[in-house]
Amino acid sequence: MSTVVRRPKPPLSLPAKFLQIDWLLPVLAVLIAAVGTAALFSTAGGRIEPWAMRHALRATGGLALMLAVGMVPPRAWMRLANPFYLCVLLLLVAVPLVGVQQLGARRWLGFGEVSLQPAELMKVALVAALARYYQWLPQLKVSHPLWVALPLAAIVTPAALVLKQPDLGTALLIVSTGLAVMFLAGVRPFYFAAGLVATVGFGNAVWPYLKDYQQRRLLTFLDPERDPLGAGYHIAQSKIALGSGGIHGRGFLGGTQSQLNFLPEKHTDFIFTMLAEEVGFIGGVTLMALYAALIAALFVIALRARTVFPRLLAGGIGAVFALHVSVNIGMVMGLVPVVGVPLPLVSYGGTSMLTLMFGLGLVLSAAAHRHDRTRRDEFGAFW
Amino acid sequence: MFTPDLDTPEAQQVFTRRALLLGVGQLGIFGALGARLYNLQITEGNRYALLADENRISVEVLAPQRGRILDRAGQVLAANTEGYRAVIVPAIARDLRGVLQRFARIEPLSFDDIERIVQRARRQSSNIAIVLAQDLSWERLAEINLNAPLLPGVRTEPAGRRQYFFGPAMGHVVGYIGAIERRAMNDNPVLRLPGMRVGRAGVERGLEDELRGKAGSVTSEVDARGRVVRIIDQVEPRPGRDMALTIDTTLQSQIMAKLGAFRRASTVVLGVQSGEVLAMASSPGFDPNAVASANDAAEWAKLQTAPDDPLNNRAVRGLYPPGSTFKMVTALAALEAGKIDVRERLPCDGLFEYYGQRYRCWRRAGHESCDLHKALRESCDCYFYELARRSGIEAIATTARKLGLGVLHNAGITEAKPGLIPDHDWKRGRFGRGWLGGETILAGIGQGYVLTTPLQLAVMTARLASGLDITPTLVQRPSPMTAPLQMALPALQAVRRAMTAVVNEDGGTGARAQGEEGGYLLAGKTGTSQVSTLSRDSVQVDIPWVRRDHALFVCYAPVAAPRYALATVVEHGGGGGAVAAPLSRAIMDLVMERDPSARPVEPVVQSGAVAPVAARRRGDG
Repeated sequence: MSTVVRRPKPPLSLPAKFLQIDWLLPVLAVLIAAVGTAALFSTAGGRIEPWAMRHALRATGGLALMLAVGMVPPRAWMRLANPFYLCVLLLLVAVPLVGVQQLGARRWLGFGEVSLQPAELMKVALVAALARYYQWLPQLKVSHPLWVALPLAAIVTPAALVLKQPDLGTALLIVSTGLAVMFLAGVRPFYFAAGLVATVGFGNAVWPYLKDYQQRRLLTFLDPERDPLGAGYHIAQSKIALGSGGIHGRGFLGGTQSQLNFLPEKHTDFIFTMLAEEVGFIGGVTLMALYAALIAALFVIALRARTVFPRLLAGGIGAVFALHVSVNIGMVMGLVPVVGVPLPLVSYGGTSMLTLMFGLGLVLSAAAHRHDRTRRDEFGAFW
Repeated sequence: MFTPDLDTPEAQQVFTRRALLLGVGQLGIFGALGARLYNLQITEGNRYALLADENRISVEVLAPQRGRILDRAGQVLAANTEGYRAVIVPAIARDLRGVLQRFARIEPLSFDDIERIVQRARRQSSNIAIVLAQDLSWERLAEINLNAPLLPGVRTEPAGRRQYFFGPAMGHVVGYIGAIERRAMNDNPVLRLPGMRVGRAGVERGLEDELRGKAGSVTSEVDARGRVVRIIDQVEPRPGRDMALTIDTTLQSQIMAKLGAFRRASTVVLGVQSGEVLAMASSPGFDPNAVASANDAAEWAKLQTAPDDPLNNRAVRGLYPPGSTFKMVTALAALEAGKIDVRERLPCDGLFEYYGQRYRCWRRAGHESCDLHKALRESCDCYFYELARRSGIEAIATTARKLGLGVLHNAGITEAKPGLIPDHDWKRGRFGRGWLGGETILAGIGQGYVLTTPLQLAVMTARLASGLDITPTLVQRPSPMTAPLQMALPALQAVRRAMTAVVNEDGGTGARAQGEEGGYLLAGKTGTSQVSTLSRDSVQVDIPWVRRDHALFVCYAPVAAPRYALATVVEHGGGGGAVAAPLSRAIMDLVMERDPSARPVEPVVQSGAVAPVAARRRGDG
């Protein structure tokens, strides 16, 4: 299909665009990143090295990236969505070939001083690519089996690559995020119900054929407290640390459990435990409220959007945040199996921080240009 | 592909419905998380607080004892002395300022010190100890421990100090330890110990991994105030290894005394078969004890800004154009490539022309004509200009690297510099322009871009003398199988004969290194490397010191069966033949005196090639 080139309304000047930006998102993101910086400062025993300073610098860089991305019209991002997805997919393929090994898993790509975790990038790339897909696909065909299979393949391929690294947590997160976007796009609920039934049925059918140790490993994964000296140890320690925080916490820099090194990965996956020990229930709930506000803001932007791409983009990024926060906090409190999922904008990690800030920038772009009348055909063919 | 259809109201409705569904679900999940948090922290908070108090296993890292550094004869160069220091843990002190003021009555603390410690305690976790005083005397140590009840949080602990013997003479070789640089920090917990010192220069730095040892740990149960209740597990630290060097301390001290006559000079003495560094002297030296105990920055700054930069180890970091000491490289490159025959004579009228550019011989009258022997003996520049032109820079660079120039030698000192042997690739990478023929001509006599360190020149001389591909080492090691140098023996022998002639034949530029009649025979080569263009024609005494030429001399002895090689550089010393040659002879005399297998004088060997001369001429290179 050929594109009819039309002159859009004269574009807004940069300062005018700056004013169009929905400031709630950046403010919430900065507040959450500031909490992260303080937590990392405490994790290092009250020093800005090695984490807090870099975290703050990355947050600042991420904020600049977010605002810059937000000022570019969504049309441009839409054109880039598929190439971006493909590039990240290629990076994921490259990880097992040239990646850096750490703690028995190969997750990083190194470029001199900088290292990159493509699996983190994939979370946003997948949302953008799926949103772009449903913008192109007529509403009537959304639930057609063929047009359901295509996005499923786009979700399962990267998830399988991540699973091989091995990184179960991130793989599950990618699948969940993708399914959330498909759900929001209007795929018939029948598919989701069928998928659930199939998974459970498959599990039950395979269970008797599993070896004894495989069964044990799965059970421990689902219920870590079965193995209090192994996988359950960290969760038990995490619960003790959390619980001893009480209402007001033990005071900033005063968490004995965290400071005395009982916690694993306290600068990444278990950072919420450390925080909740030191700032207590009030602090923990405040951070959760900040996340809830951010997710709500993303959904409001989605509901107010007039076309499919920005709508699914905002909804999808909202799902990314919601899933991360729920799984991470659920895990440290022993509600969810132990999977390595970072607390967005708070856990230490450059790729995750910049990816999420970039994702928020995409949403800002959609929100700021909500009044640009965009027709479905304006983007031409799928490529 | 598809007909465009506008966003339908139905589609929007579906989305709204589903988004709200997810939103409500999310709210439910957050509610559940909040409830769980409430349950853990408030309903069961007391139970967990109790668990937490019982749950205090502290792991303390124990620093290993640093290995000693010994010399060739087993004499101790660096060791640890017993010492104690006082530290404070702010979490236990509670009233930090009060405790510090009481402490100050025992061991003086200035008002600024107290402020600094209070500030620091505010910035970091209160469980981390802060050092109050180092090197406590026995009386102070006893007094502090006696007053322990008045000083909560203060404790004394052993903290050895590093002591260096033979101060300035060994300073550059042994180096010193100091606080760890931030960028050198890694996951090794021993590096995060308060007051941890690591090697910062010399062998202390180069052999850090061997000297440091491995940390141990004490796992203990502590009470709510951090006091140890019970030791659960203790892993003793593994002390660092004692490292025996190849340096001969007496020889090194004697050489340092000799070098003291000049403002800046350095010498490296190597065993030609083993590559062992017998002496590595760089003058002026410094006392590592002064650096290691430099508590205040002022003392450190004074050393750093001292005249003639005593902290700089010129033996491995001084970069000098090798001047005529490079001519052996040019000669071997041409011989290897078959560009010249040993007997071929080339004319020299004091001038060499290349593409209209004129290059002068150091001797304005010229040398009439030279074969290789005479050219090296009298250091004829024109001969080597022509050799360089014929060989090309790539062949010269290959030979230079084969002989150890432009190569980083890891002898045990990591701050060594690699020097520079230029070639086409380097020029293009550095300047983005191609190599010029004239640059080859200059490189042929060791000028232009060529830069070498005294260590590299000593390696070159040792390789020439032994014909072995030796590598220099400061650390005693089982004598390795050294591969022979990949060079034709006749070419090597021609060069060795010429080097013998430099010192021992009539007209040789190194006649001042000849020594007394009846002494051992020494072979060498002078070098005078230009610092400024002005220096070439002037009388050296008349021009400012910083623009005077560097004086170089490389040599090996005894000629018949070489055992030692050395290279000497006197910065701005004037002529190589006039200054560096006699100095090198004096140093080689010291080396030979200490040679364990010192034998009586050997007879003249190289048949006919050597005819000792009585007359001593002023030579130049």
